[in-house]
Amino acid sequence: MNLYDERNKLHRRLFLQKLGVTAASLAFAPLYSQADTETLAFGNGIRELVAYPQKRPLMLVTARPPHLETPFAVFNEGVLTPNDAFFVRYHLPNFPTSIDVGQHRLKVTGQVNKPLSLSLAELKALGETVEIVAVNQCAGNSRGFSSPRVFGAQLGNGSMGNARWTGIPLKTVLDRAGVRAGSKQITLRGLDRPALPGTPEFVKAIDIDLALSSGPLIAWAMNGTDIPFLNGYPIKLIIPGYFGSYWVKHLSEIEVIDHGFDGFFMKTAYRVPDNECQCVSAGSTPEKTRPISRLKVRSFITNLRSGENVSAGHAINLQGIAFDSGSGISSVDISDDGGKHWQAATLGKDLGNYSFREWHKTWEPQDKGKVALQVRARNRRGEEQPAAGLWNPGGYAQNGIETLSILVV
Amino acid sequence: MKPLIVQTASLIAWCVVEAFAAAEPLSITLPTETAKLRPSNLPGYALATQKCQICHSVDYIEYQPPGMIESQWVAEVRKMQHAYAAPITDDEINPIGAYLAASYSGKQAQEIGLQPSTAPVPSSQGATMTDVKTLLDQNSCLNCHAIDKKLVGPSYRDVAARYKNDPKAVDTLADRMGKGSSGRWGGIPMPPFPALTPDELKSLAVFVLSH
Repeated sequence: MNLYDERNKLHRRLFLQKLGVTAASLAFAPLYSQADTETLAFGNGIRELVAYPQKRPLMLVTARPPHLETPFAVFNEGVLTPNDAFFVRYHLPNFPTSIDVGQHRLKVTGQVNKPLSLSLAELKALGETVEIVAVNQCAGNSRGFSSPRVFGAQLGNGSMGNARWTGIPLKTVLDRAGVRAGSKQITLRGLDRPALPGTPEFVKAIDIDLALSSGPLIAWAMNGTDIPFLNGYPIKLIIPGYFGSYWVKHLSEIEVIDHGFDGFFMKTAYRVPDNECQCVSAGSTPEKTRPISRLKVRSFITNLRSGENVSAGHAINLQGIAFDSGSGISSVDISDDGGKHWQAATLGKDLGNYSFREWHKTWEPQDKGKVALQVRARNRRGEEQPAAGLWNPGGYAQNGIETLSILVV
Repeated sequence: MKPLIVQTASLIAWCVVEAFAAAEPLSITLPTETAKLRPSNLPGYALATQKCQICHSVDYIEYQPPGMIESQWVAEVRKMQHAYAAPITDDEINPIGAYLAASYSGKQAQEIGLQPSTAPVPSSQGATMTDVKTLLDQNSCLNCHAIDKKLVGPSYRDVAARYKNDPKAVDTLADRMGKGSSGRWGGIPMPPFPALTPDELKSLAVFVLSH
């Protein structure tokens, strides 16, 4: 029994107390099999809530490799997603379950003047520590809402989170190694490995210009404490504005290369149609694809759920979040007539362009009956959300305007 | 004063290094997998049982969208073979796809889910096969187990060591291989192998315990 089992038991107990379930009624069965469920608004969308190490009960997508989604109510708790509620996604079954931070090394190899092998202490000593609040969103967040449906992890809207990351710029590390002229990309890998020899390794790549920009950092802290094990302890790559597949966990090796990387998770997987909308007509195959990259603008209402009732003539405060890939949110609008008329919401505190931006809007429902309540955001580049979810074969980069079905009584 | 400061600084550095070196590794224990494939008397069930769980738990399959048609499931199985090197032969792709479509694609799937077939899956090798090497190959045992090291499941040597003083070891192991087992070697379950006959199970158990 380790510390985290104890912690999970505590979470479990608190969770059950909230539900009014006593431990005695569970004595005959493993605790987790009695877990509550969360229902996503698509077919086959019931998810068990299971507590993993350092995590409160989250929606189980797959047990192995671990894939956990954040219940949406968490996004109404605050603008930063708590570490114990942050989503988890691995790709390969041989993931680490024990890491000795004293032994962990980050290697920098390839087209560099001086290859490095850095302990965490050495990494921290390389230069100035930086902090940024940034959204990490899974490429497949909201895939379950694709129409027609597509294979893959059937995710609701909870495979995203916003955290304050503390670390050192990737550029500082690369400068120390000395990137050689003519380098094109860097490849990134962590400690997870395939089970079978023929399965592709999980290796991602980014262009050298992005790698040497001021954006990416190698983080060791998340919301002021160690990064949770399942989110990439002890160090994780953060690329603000980019999808989470690039945010390599348990970061262990960076290779500087003088060509374009063609590994499976760049060349074949995680690709979107090579056009502006990153979409094709439903059910069709794109002629040309490119690696997925930046987040699209999105917004959500966090304090109301589809199917809830509100009272006519009573004003309520709608609140929620919006984000994009780093230009910043310029406006958020609300509609209660299915998109015919829109009213501006008030933006909340600005935690930086890569963060969730909170918003709120007083709403007084008038006529009784069913209302399509919608939220849309626009970023400082003038990009808006499409009226409906755009389709691509991977179900990636979803960002259609969210619609809640609310009954005014 | 200067030498003293240097000395203090190096002492602090030494303490920091010591603290790292002496720190316990951070270890986690994951919850046990609970998802099981939906039982079926289609031949693809036994194949899926052997192959899919080498790399992932089967909740991945359970949560796929309803209404996917057989050709889509077949394409997905082919992707597992082509892209991820799942040890599936070309001849096994269609049966596995047919099983997944029949068991996980809507109304029919729900009926199967509610009334799991208890009919034994016919052994593709016939009842007389007792050659252990063939059994190991046909059932993909060595994708998850090795003689002397842990892969997805425990090594045969570790299993043999645990049961070395158990007079009922052969029967116990044969039973657990046939019916499946979980929780005895960590969080990843051993799937059931209902197609194996009692004699085949016994041969495999004797083989495992000989290490």
